[in-house]
Formats: sequence, C-alpha cells, structure tokens
Amino acid sequence: MVSRVVVKGSIEDVWREITKTDEPQQAIFNARMHRLGLAPGSPIRMRTPDNRYTSVVGEILEADPPRKLSHTMKFTAYDEPWCKVTYELRETPEGVEFTLTSEDVVPGTKTAKDMERGGPFIVGTLKAVVENGRPPLGTRLLYALFGLIGPLLTPKTCRSEHWPLEEPARGGRS
Amino acid sequence: MESMGAVFDALGSATRRRILDLVKADPGCTVGEVAARFDVTRIAVMHQIRVLEEAQLLVSRKEGRRRRLYFNAVPIQMIYDRWTSELSALWASRMADLKYRVESRSEGRKGTKHGRNPQDGVEGRRQGKHRGRVA
Repeated sequence: MVSRVVVKGSIEDVWREITKTDEPQQAIFNARMHRLGLAPGSPIRMRTPDNRYTSVVGEILEADPPRKLSHTMKFTAYDEPWCKVTYELRETPEGVEFTLTSEDVVPGTKTAKDMERGGPFIVGTLKAVVENGRPPLGTRLLYALFGLIGPLLTPKTCRSEHWPLEEPARGGRS
Repeated sequence: MESMGAVFDALGSATRRRILDLVKADPGCTVGEVAARFDVTRIAVMHQIRVLEEAQLLVSRKEGRRRRLYFNAVPIQMIYDRWTSELSALWASRMADLKYRVESRSEGRKGTKHGRNPQDGVEGRRQGKHRGRVA
C-alpha cells in the first residue's frame, strides 16, 4: 500500500515528525516513539503517551536522515506476521513529497485492515501537523477519545511490560 | 485546499473511478494491465491515468521499463477530514457523556457531575475505583 502527500514545509520538519522521541507523534496516532537509535536492527516501540501500552513494535531496517526510514513492524494486539513500512521524503518545488509504503502485509489480516486505514490517516495528519502545527479537529477529538476510552479497549497483551525496549526487537510475547 | 478541485474532477468520471477500483484491487499493476481491461486505446487510458496522478489519487513507480500503479487514499482522507470534524465532535461528546454516566452510576450516590469536555477529569478518573479495568 502506498500513501503519498506533498507537505509545505522543510524536509527536516517532516523527518522530525516521524522520528522524534521527546513528545508524542501527533501524525502517528499520538503515539510516543521509544527507540535506542537509528542503526539497522535497533528496536522501536510505539507507546501511549503515559507509557503503559505499546501498540506497535518494530526494528529499524534502514535510516537515511532526512530522506528515508524503513522498519519492520507488528501490532502487539494481533498475533500476525511482521510487515515492513518505509517512509520516503523528497524535496520538490511544491514541497516535501512524503510517501508511506507498506509491504509484506498479508491480505485479509487485521494488520492489513489497520494498515489500509492507518496509512492515509498518518500521511494526511502529518501534512496538517507540519503545515498548521496540529492535526485536524476530528483527529484531535479522536486522540482525546483514545485517552478517555482507549484503556478500556486495549487488550492486556499490549501492556508495555510485555514489550520492553531492548534487543532483540522480537523479545516480547503475546 | 488547493488540490481538492482536481480530486473531485478526477473522481467525476466513471472510467477513472473504474481505473481506481482496478488499481486498488491489484496494487502494483502496470499501465498495460490496466489498459487491457478497457476497450478504448491505450493512449486514452494513459490520459485518464495521468489525470488521476495529477490529483494524487494514483502513485506510479518506475521499475525498470515498467510503471507500477498504486492507489493513494490520502486525498480522500483529506476530504473526509474537511467535512467530518463536526460529526466527530458530536460523536466524541456523546461518548464522553456515556462514559461519565456509566461511571457516575457505578460510583453510586456520590453525585459525580457529568463532564462535558472530553478532556475533563480523565487523569483523575483513572485513579478511581475501576483501576483494574479503566487503567
């Protein structure tokens, strides 16, 4: 699956939105990125802002700041195969062309469904965040709702204690 | 949004919508494969593909001599965002109301006031008696 948008902003700002660890990534479901570095093999954990739940785990495949970030991933809520996501940033006269590609997603899985909905959401939200400084209103409300009822809907397998930030990335259990 | 007009124009043609359906069902298909599904000339199909690319509804990637096509849902996502904010607000406030009503009921006769703002009291309530379930 491919999701692409042209963002009016600097390539560094776009890069920061998908790699920053000092605050939640508003473009990516308001998740907070935990990682040890950007070297290939380094683990990534996407966690709720309060750190209690880990939604996505992965391992860096390639990082070429500020042009390319590629990592494996899986949703902790599902016992499904790993897939791969790649973010590509390219400067054009119109702005930064931002492309999110997912590969090796098994058709028909819950992962596939989430990726199909999540890809355009992430890319569209990132554009708004870089250009306007915040996500669209509907998305902000959605995030407020996550905080409110998310914990009620999150399975216990997603608790961060099951998904420590350490090598190897696949050390967690579901 | 400057490009939204191009998106609506692109979606205004049944042929172009069919091209989107074909590409969505078969991500990475080639221009030739798409053209083979239509009775019109390849040139005509390529023109429609170009319109879809200009509206960002299709993304193409060169792979050797071939051009592979992918459906890009982002422009549609942005149309959705543009017109659903009020709906989301309504939905969010109803969900918040429901949560507070359920909580105040289970807290019994303490007379917990119903919050209106989805952000109100989230942190405080997490420490409440539903700890095992809510937190």
